[in-house]
Amino acid sequence: MTKKEKKSFNQSLAEWKRFIYNPTSGEFLGRTAKSWGLILLFYLVFYGFLAALFTFTMWVMLQTLNDEVPKYRDQIPSPGLMVFPKPLSALEYTFSASDPSSYRGYIEDLRKFLKPYTLEEQKNLTVCPDGILSEQKGPVYVACQFPIFLLQACSGMSDPDFGYSQGSPCVLVKMNRIIGLKPEGTPRIECIPKDENVASISTYPNNGIIDLKYFPYYGKKLHVGYLQPLVAAQVIFSANSTKKEVTVECKIDGSPNLKNQDDRDKFLGRVAFKIIARA
Amino acid sequence: MRQRKLEIYSVEHHAATDIKKKEGRDGKKDNDLELKRNQQKEELKKELDLDDHKLSNKELETKYGTDIIRGLSSTRAAELLAQNGPNALTPPKQTPEIIKFLKQMVGGFSILLWVGAVLCWIAFGIQYVSNPSASLDSVYLGTVLAVVVILTGIFAYYQEAKSTNIMASFCKMIPQQAVVIRDSEKKVIPAEQLVVGDIVEIKGGDQIPADIRLLSAQGCKVDNSSLTGESEPQSRSSEFTHENPLETKNITFYSTTCLEASTSPVGTATGMVINTGDRTIIGRIASLASGVGNEKTPIAIEIEHFVHIVAGVAVSVGILFFIIAVCMKYHVLDAIIFLIAIIVANVPEGLLATVTVALSLTAKRMAKKNCLVKNLEAVETLGSTSIICSDKTGTLTQNRMTVAHLWFDNQIFVADTSEDNLNQGFDQSSGTWTSLSKIIALCNRAEFKPGQESVPIMKRVVVGDASETALLKFSEVILGDVMEIRKRNHKVVEIPFNSTNKFQLSIHQTEDPNDKRFLLVMKGAPERILEKCSTIMINGKEQPLDKSMAQAFHTAYMELGGLGERVLGFCHFYLPADEFPETYSFDSESMNFPTSNLCFVGLLSMIDPPRSTVPDAVTKCRSAGIKVIMVTGDHPITAKAIAKSVGIISANSETVEDIAKRCNIAVEQVNKRDAKAAVVTGMELKDMSPEQLDELLANYPEIVFARTSPQQKLIIVEGCQRQDAVVAVTGDGVNDSPALKKADIGVAMGITGSDAAKNAADMILLDDNFSSIVTGVEEGRLIFDNLKKTIAYTLTKNIAELCPFLIYIILGLPLPIGTITLLFIDLGTDIIPSIALAYEKAESDIMNRKPRHKKKDRLVNQQLAVYSYLHIGLMQALGAFLVYFTVYAQQGFRPTSLFHLRIAWDSDHLNDLEDNYGQEWTSYQRQYLEWTGYTAFFVGIMVQQIADLIIRKTRKNSIFKQGLFRNKVIWVGIASQIIVALLLSYGLGSITALNFTMLKAQYWFVAVPHAILIWVYDEMRKLFIRLYPGSWWDKNMYY
Repeated sequence: MTKKEKKSFNQSLAEWKRFIYNPTSGEFLGRTAKSWGLILLFYLVFYGFLAALFTFTMWVMLQTLNDEVPKYRDQIPSPGLMVFPKPLSALEYTFSASDPSSYRGYIEDLRKFLKPYTLEEQKNLTVCPDGILSEQKGPVYVACQFPIFLLQACSGMSDPDFGYSQGSPCVLVKMNRIIGLKPEGTPRIECIPKDENVASISTYPNNGIIDLKYFPYYGKKLHVGYLQPLVAAQVIFSANSTKKEVTVECKIDGSPNLKNQDDRDKFLGRVAFKIIARA
Repeated sequence: MRQRKLEIYSVEHHAATDIKKKEGRDGKKDNDLELKRNQQKEELKKELDLDDHKLSNKELETKYGTDIIRGLSSTRAAELLAQNGPNALTPPKQTPEIIKFLKQMVGGFSILLWVGAVLCWIAFGIQYVSNPSASLDSVYLGTVLAVVVILTGIFAYYQEAKSTNIMASFCKMIPQQAVVIRDSEKKVIPAEQLVVGDIVEIKGGDQIPADIRLLSAQGCKVDNSSLTGESEPQSRSSEFTHENPLETKNITFYSTTCLEASTSPVGTATGMVINTGDRTIIGRIASLASGVGNEKTPIAIEIEHFVHIVAGVAVSVGILFFIIAVCMKYHVLDAIIFLIAIIVANVPEGLLATVTVALSLTAKRMAKKNCLVKNLEAVETLGSTSIICSDKTGTLTQNRMTVAHLWFDNQIFVADTSEDNLNQGFDQSSGTWTSLSKIIALCNRAEFKPGQESVPIMKRVVVGDASETALLKFSEVILGDVMEIRKRNHKVVEIPFNSTNKFQLSIHQTEDPNDKRFLLVMKGAPERILEKCSTIMINGKEQPLDKSMAQAFHTAYMELGGLGERVLGFCHFYLPADEFPETYSFDSESMNFPTSNLCFVGLLSMIDPPRSTVPDAVTKCRSAGIKVIMVTGDHPITAKAIAKSVGIISANSETVEDIAKRCNIAVEQVNKRDAKAAVVTGMELKDMSPEQLDELLANYPEIVFARTSPQQKLIIVEGCQRQDAVVAVTGDGVNDSPALKKADIGVAMGITGSDAAKNAADMILLDDNFSSIVTGVEEGRLIFDNLKKTIAYTLTKNIAELCPFLIYIILGLPLPIGTITLLFIDLGTDIIPSIALAYEKAESDIMNRKPRHKKKDRLVNQQLAVYSYLHIGLMQALGAFLVYFTVYAQQGFRPTSLFHLRIAWDSDHLNDLEDNYGQEWTSYQRQYLEWTGYTAFFVGIMVQQIADLIIRKTRKNSIFKQGLFRNKVIWVGIASQIIVALLLSYGLGSITALNFTMLKAQYWFVAVPHAILIWVYDEMRKLFIRLYPGSWWDKNMYY
C-alpha cells in the first residue's frame, strides 16, 4: 500500500511539473502563451468595462446628492452627548493634581478645542438674541457667537489649567451637531455625580443651559464658523471625602424632543464619565 | 490460496480458474482485505467439498444422524437449530443510524463550519479573559454556525432516511412454510426452523426451502433461472448424475422453485436438508455480494470534488487574508474573526441540503416512472452510465416460453411473441393448421388452475412445465376453450414425455360422432418424430414423406434451432376403426398401438421472447452513447438470438464466426477488425487475461457473454470499469447479485427479482421494464445538468459575500455585510430558487449525446467556477457595493470619506464621529447605519440573484428559447426570495440580533440595472457560444 502511495505521489509531482510547464505543448499553467495573452486581454477589457461602469453608476449616484444637506437624516433623529477632552480609552479621566504631566494632555486638548471660541475668533460672528431659534433662509447663513466666558471657571481664561491643578477638573459636554435640529423647550444639561458625598458638580453656563439661538444647524458648508454650544462640568470633590473617584452622568433635560433615554444607545442625550483624581 | 477453488459458484466445471485470477488481482490491491477474505474463503472452502450427491441414502443417514423415514427428533432438531442458527439469509449489515447521522454532521462543508464555530468560541474565550464585558457577537456567530451545521445535517439525514424507508418496506420477505417429517410425523413449520438432516417434502410450485439432496422424486423439475440464468426447467431426480453439485440431478437449491413434482396422483418429492441459511449456495453467493466493496457513486465523487474546490478556495483565501491582516497590524483575535467570516462567506451552507432535495425530487419523479432508487446518489449514476451489462432472462426477456415460429405446409410462420400474444396473424386457413392445432391442444398435460376465467390468458397460472404452458396458452388464444376441446376429444391413454423416449403421446376419441376412429397425437424432439413418420401433411392432404420433404424439414429445423429456439415436432395418426374398435383397450405399458408410419404435421418452436419494449429501449441507449452488453448464464445460441432480436447485436453486424461462415473460411483467418459483434462464452472468458478482456471490451461495440458464472459477471463488470466506464448492471437472479453490487449502479427487477438481487441493487425497476432504464438515464442526465446550474447559481454570490470582508480588511470601509446576514442569503433567500433549478427542463435532446466522461466532464469545472466567481460574481459584488455606497452617501457619508474609517467607525467610545456634512454620530447610530448597510448589501445581492437565477436556467440556449415561464417553480423561487427579504427587512427589522433594518423602498431598486446587465451579459455569452461552437469563447465560457 505504501508502495502504491509513493508511486502516486511521484506521479502527481510529475503531473504538477507538467502542469506548471509542459514542454511539449509549451503550456504554462495549463495554457499556451497565446491563450494566456487572449485571456489576459479579455479580462483587461472586461474588467476595464466593469470599472468604467461602476465609476459611472457611482457618479450617477453622487449626482443625486446635495452638497449642503444629506438626503436623509432619519437615522439621527436625536443628538448624542459627548464629552471633551477625550480620554485615551473609555471615558475615564485619570490625573493627579500634583503632577502636571498627568493632565497636560487634557489641558492642551481643551485649549485647542476652545480656540475657535476665543473672542478674537468669534468677532465676525453675529450676536444673536437669547432664547429663540435663529432660523435663517439663506443664502448666507450666519453663526451665533458663543462667548467663552459663559464657561466661567472652565473657560480657561481665569484658570489656564481648567481646574486640574486644583483637583477640580473641567470636562466639556457637548451635544452632537445634527442638521436642522430644533430643540423644543429649554434644553439644559444636567450633570449628577453617582455618589453625592464624594463630589459635587458645577455646570457652566449656569444650570447647564443650552441656548436655542444656536439652533438649527445648517451644515458644514452653509453654516460657516458655526459654534456648537458647550456646557462645562466641573467636578469638585468634597473636602471630607477620602475617595477621589466619581462617576458623573450628564443628560439633556428640559426639551421634550431631545431624547435622553435609550436602551441601546448609551450616548443618546446622555453621557457618563469617570473622574479619578490621584493624590 | 492460489489453489483454492470455489467451483461451487460456477456453472462450468472449471470456472474456478477465473476465480483464482480474480483473487490474485484483488490480493495485490489490498493486503488487509485479502487477509480477511482469506479467512472467509478458508471457511467457505471447508463447506464447499459438497459430496452429498455422491453418497447413498444410508451414508447420508449416518452423516447427518437422521432417519429417512422417521425424520429427526424434535429435540435433536432444536439442538441443531440452536447450534447452526435459523435457516435464513443474514441480511446485509446495516450501518447504524447514529453513524449515518454523524456522517451527515461531519460530511461536506460541515467540518469547515465546525472549525469556524469552535474558533468563534475560542476567540470569545480569549476576549472574555481579557475583558469580561466583551461583546457576545462571536458567541452568537459560533452558535449560529453550529445550529446551521446541525440543522442541515438533520435535514440531509431525514431525506436519506425517507428514501431508505421506502426500501425497507419493499424488501420484507414473506415467511415461508415447509413440510417436514419429524418424530415420524408430518409437520408444517416455518422454513426458518429447518435444520440439516431434516426430511422435507416438496410439491410443485413450492420454493425449495434449503439446499436439499433428493431422496425420491418423479418428474420433478426445478427452475434454476435465478441461480444460473437458464430459463429452461431442469429435471431433478434422486440419481447422482454429475460430479459437479450444481449439475447433478439429485440436489435442489434454496430459493429456486420446484415447478412440478411427480406425476398424478399428486405426489411429492422428498429430500434431506444438507445446508441451511448462509451455508446454502445462494447464501454463499449473497455473502460474496456483500463482500464486494461498494463503489462511491459518480455524483458523490463529483460533490466531493466540488467541496474540495470550494473548501480549498475558502481556506486559502481565509489564510491569505489572515496573514495580510496580521501584517497590517490587526489584532490576532480580529484576524481570526476575519478568517471565520471569509470561510462563512465562501462556504455555500445551504447547497448540500439543496442538492439532497434536488436528488430526492428526481428520485420521486423516477419512482413515479417505476424506477425506485434505494440510494439517493444513485439517481444521477444512470445518467453518467456508459455501459449497461444486462442479464437476459427476465430482464430483456419475458421469462416465459412462448411460441415463436411454426413450420407447416413447407413454410415458416411467425407467431406473435409480444406480452399479450393476442395478435396471431399467420395464415390459419390451411387444413394442416387445423390438424396441427388439434395436436397442440390435445397432446398436452398442462392445465389452467381453475377459477381464472376473468384473468387474461397470458397471465393465468398454469400447472405444467414451461413448454407445455406455452403451448396451452398458444392454443387457448387461437382456438378458445382448450379444456372444452379436450373434454370433447376424450383421452383414452397417454404416455408422458420422458428423456429416453423424447416424445409424448396420447390417444383420443374424436369429437365427430360419425367418425369412430381414434386419433393418435404425438409431439417430441423433431428428429425423433420424423423417424416415426412416413407421410407428411401438406395443405391438409397427406403426402408421402420423400427425400425433398425431409430436406425441407431439416432446413426448417436448423433455421429455427439457429434462432436459439426450442423446436418440437408434431405428428398424428387416425387409427383404423376396424383394427381399433371403440371398445379397444389401450395399454400404455405394452404400447398396443402403432407408433410408426405416422403422418408428420409440423414443427413449432418456442423461445423466451424479448419484452416488446426492449428493442426500442436498446436503440435509445445506443443513440445516447451507451453500450449495451448482454451477460447471461444461458446458452450462446439463445443469447445471440435474443441479442439480435432486441438489437444488442444490430441487424447488419456480424461476429467473427458469422464472417467465417459467410466467406467459408476458418475462424482464425477472419480479420477481427471486420467484426462488430462478439459472442463470448464463459469457457472462453476464463482463458482470457485481463488485458485480453480489456481489448475485447474496447474493440467490439456489440458484445454478448453467454454461459457466465456469477464470478465471471463480476470480472466483466470490473473489466468495464477499467475502461473508465460507469457501469450499470441489470439483473434479477441471485447469480446477478455480486455483479449488481460491484456495478456503479445495480438495477434489479421488482417483480421477478430475487431478494438477494434487490438487496444488492441501487435501483429497482418496479415494472421489470428495461425501458424504464432509459427514463432513468434521461432523468440522471437532466439532474446532472441541473445540479450544475444550481451550483453555479449558488457559487456566484460567494464573491459578493466575500468581497465585503476583503475590502473591510484592506481598505477599512465600515463592514458592508455581516456574517449572520450572509447566512440569511445562503439559507434564506437562496434555498428555494436553487431547488427550483432542479425542475428545469432539458435544454436540448440529452438522449442524443454521449454519456459524460467520468474524469473529464466534471460537475464543477474550471469554466463554471471562473464564470461564476470572476464574471457574474464580480458584477454582483459591484452592484451590491453600489447599493451600500448609496445608503451611506445619502445618509451623510460620502464614499471617499469611508476609506480607512474602520477604526474610528468601530470604536465604541467615539460618539461624535463627524460625517461629510458636519453632523455627529454616536456609536450606536453608526451601528444602526451599518446594519442598514448590511440590509442594503443583502438586498443588492438578492436582486441580482434573481437575475442570476434566470440566467442559470440555460447554459447555452437563450432564455427566451427555453421559455421564461415554462418552469413555474423558478417564479415560486423568485417570489420566495423577495418575500423572505421583505420579511427580514420589514418584519424582523426591529430584532437587533438579526442586524436587519427597514430599508427605504428605493434602495431595493438600486441594483436592478446591474441585474439587467448580468442578464444581458449572459445572453451575449450564450449567443457567442451558439454562434461560434468550438471557438476560444466556447471553450472558456461554456460550463
